[in-house]
Amino acid sequence: MAAENAEKTAPVISREGSTEIHAKTAGSKAVKIILITVSVLFLFVMLVMPLITVIYEAFRKGLAPYLEAISDPDTVSALLLTLEATVIAVVINTVFGLFAAWAISKFRFHGKKVLVTLIDLPVTVSPIIAGLIFVLTFGRQSVIYPFLESIDFMVVYAVPGIILATVFVTFPFISREILPVLDAQGTDEEEAAALMGAKGFTIFRRITLPHIKWALMYGIVLCAARAMGEFGAVSVLSGHLRGKTVTLPLQVEILFGDNKFMPAFAVSSILVVLAILILIVRSIVEYVGKRKKGENSQS
Amino acid sequence: MYIELRDINKSYGSFKASDNVNFGIEKGKLVALLGPSGSGKTTILRMIAGLEKPDSGEIEIDGRVVNGIPASERGIGFVFQSYALFRYMTVFDNIAFGLKVRRMNKAEINERVNGLIKLIGLEGFGKRYPSQLSGGQRQRVAFARALAPNPQVLLLDEPFAAIDAKVRQELRKWLKDMIHQLGVTGIFVTHDQDEAIEVSDEIIVTNKGRVDQTGTPIDIYRHPTTAFTSSFFGVTSELSDYMSFRSFDDIGEYDKAIVRPEFVKITKKNEFQKYKSSAVEGVVRDAQFRGNSIEVTVNCNNSTFSARRGLDEPAVEIGEKVDVFIYRIFVTHGDDVKLLKNNALREETVVI
Repeated sequence: MAAENAEKTAPVISREGSTEIHAKTAGSKAVKIILITVSVLFLFVMLVMPLITVIYEAFRKGLAPYLEAISDPDTVSALLLTLEATVIAVVINTVFGLFAAWAISKFRFHGKKVLVTLIDLPVTVSPIIAGLIFVLTFGRQSVIYPFLESIDFMVVYAVPGIILATVFVTFPFISREILPVLDAQGTDEEEAAALMGAKGFTIFRRITLPHIKWALMYGIVLCAARAMGEFGAVSVLSGHLRGKTVTLPLQVEILFGDNKFMPAFAVSSILVVLAILILIVRSIVEYVGKRKKGENSQS
Repeated sequence: MYIELRDINKSYGSFKASDNVNFGIEKGKLVALLGPSGSGKTTILRMIAGLEKPDSGEIEIDGRVVNGIPASERGIGFVFQSYALFRYMTVFDNIAFGLKVRRMNKAEINERVNGLIKLIGLEGFGKRYPSQLSGGQRQRVAFARALAPNPQVLLLDEPFAAIDAKVRQELRKWLKDMIHQLGVTGIFVTHDQDEAIEVSDEIIVTNKGRVDQTGTPIDIYRHPTTAFTSSFFGVTSELSDYMSFRSFDDIGEYDKAIVRPEFVKITKKNEFQKYKSSAVEGVVRDAQFRGNSIEVTVNCNNSTFSARRGLDEPAVEIGEKVDVFIYRIFVTHGDDVKLLKNNALREETVVI
């Protein structure tokens, strides 16, 4: 593709004489080679090399120590906590994202722009600050702390805090993916269904959901990926209680801090595998979604 | 009256979409809401359907005031301008949707949907998706979907707007026959006069949120009662000073004098013209072939207007001097309109 484009555009740029066209084509070939080389080198240094290093370091001492490192009880509990936080964050944000996107695209109301801006807040605020906000809101200094203590519900330095931080950091992903699709669809089909006597939920299930299905899936994948990797906000709220409030990224940090490099890389490799799995799911979702869109798009 | 709107008002902010709208429609009639864009015709349609609420006034369908009744219970079929077919459902499922929502049993649904697919001439297309159909086919599916739950009233919003000219002709006739055959009462919105004339039994002309005139197409054409309706049908031109043309009564003050091509007779100098004494001389500016006639544009007494000549009549040349005789004109003053006949025609009847 890139090669074709380069060769096609070159003669258009210079119309005088064939020698110059040749010169330009040759020039664009050189440009092409340079661009590709730079991109490949950059990707290699920035992405491939670190990945190889992680896998290499993880398996440097062989398979047995690797298995031992990843079956360490603290690591297993960190993996479980990460999955728990991810699943809960995805469920909460799917519901919230659907509600928010639906409200924004189908109704006219005051403060709509404020809501749209607020949804983006977690992306713009540094995760560390997000973590601090929750510490101040639910920690010992907070006015609601006595109440939380009376019902024995701890947020800071406990699992609910970790989940809260994960939800906060990932909440724009799903609504942001659905919104443009809902906006583009308009309200005609829903109105048509309502006129025929369909109730709200039927309309959502039969008309709206099929339409936003692939955008929703894509949003869920992005949300899950972000939730698994979240470090900053979770780090502030976690308190690093090993085996209790430590997620996988925190476990990597702890091991690394203890100079246990091989186990640190081994745990990292779990995150790498999860990331690759998510990338594969993402590609499938994207591919299938595009194909479906091509099939069903109405002119 | 089967459908009746009484004193309907509707505003969007400072924009008055409906300004004291009143009209009634008889059962089984196919009625056109005709007006330029922004005249409030779609708003009227959406209020009848229940998709918009009037600010004041009553809407009555079949003797029942429906203002408080939700859209889904009014027994109305609606065809959207964009068709709004459910793009993730097949043709069959689109048509079946309204029946499934009503929890009709499966055998009945199959029978009804297949019957409708046959009616719209799309047998074998049941499993296709809307994106795999042509514009005309989609329109027919939208029509069948709206008809499936057996509505008593069918509302169509610019039903032919998105279809190319040739298919549009066929569909107009098809729709008219179909609605009369099924006995439903239909209202359709259009901004196209030809479409309104050809398809409807009755026309409701809307302008600036008001109903200007209602009547059969031929009625409105012959006896426009407002300045707007007099200039709405067909190709109209204005005369700068109608008194400069011979044999018209002087009515004093007026705003516009409107002439239609069919009111004008153009004759070559060597042709016979019965009312030669009342004709004036004009110069041919343009002559265009229009398929079944020649449209001749003349400049005459500082006005430019057109007339038609038959294909069998001798051709006129651009720049040629011709005799121009005007049978009648519409003269408007404010919202009133007056039809003036050339007195030369009356003199003849007096003689006889």
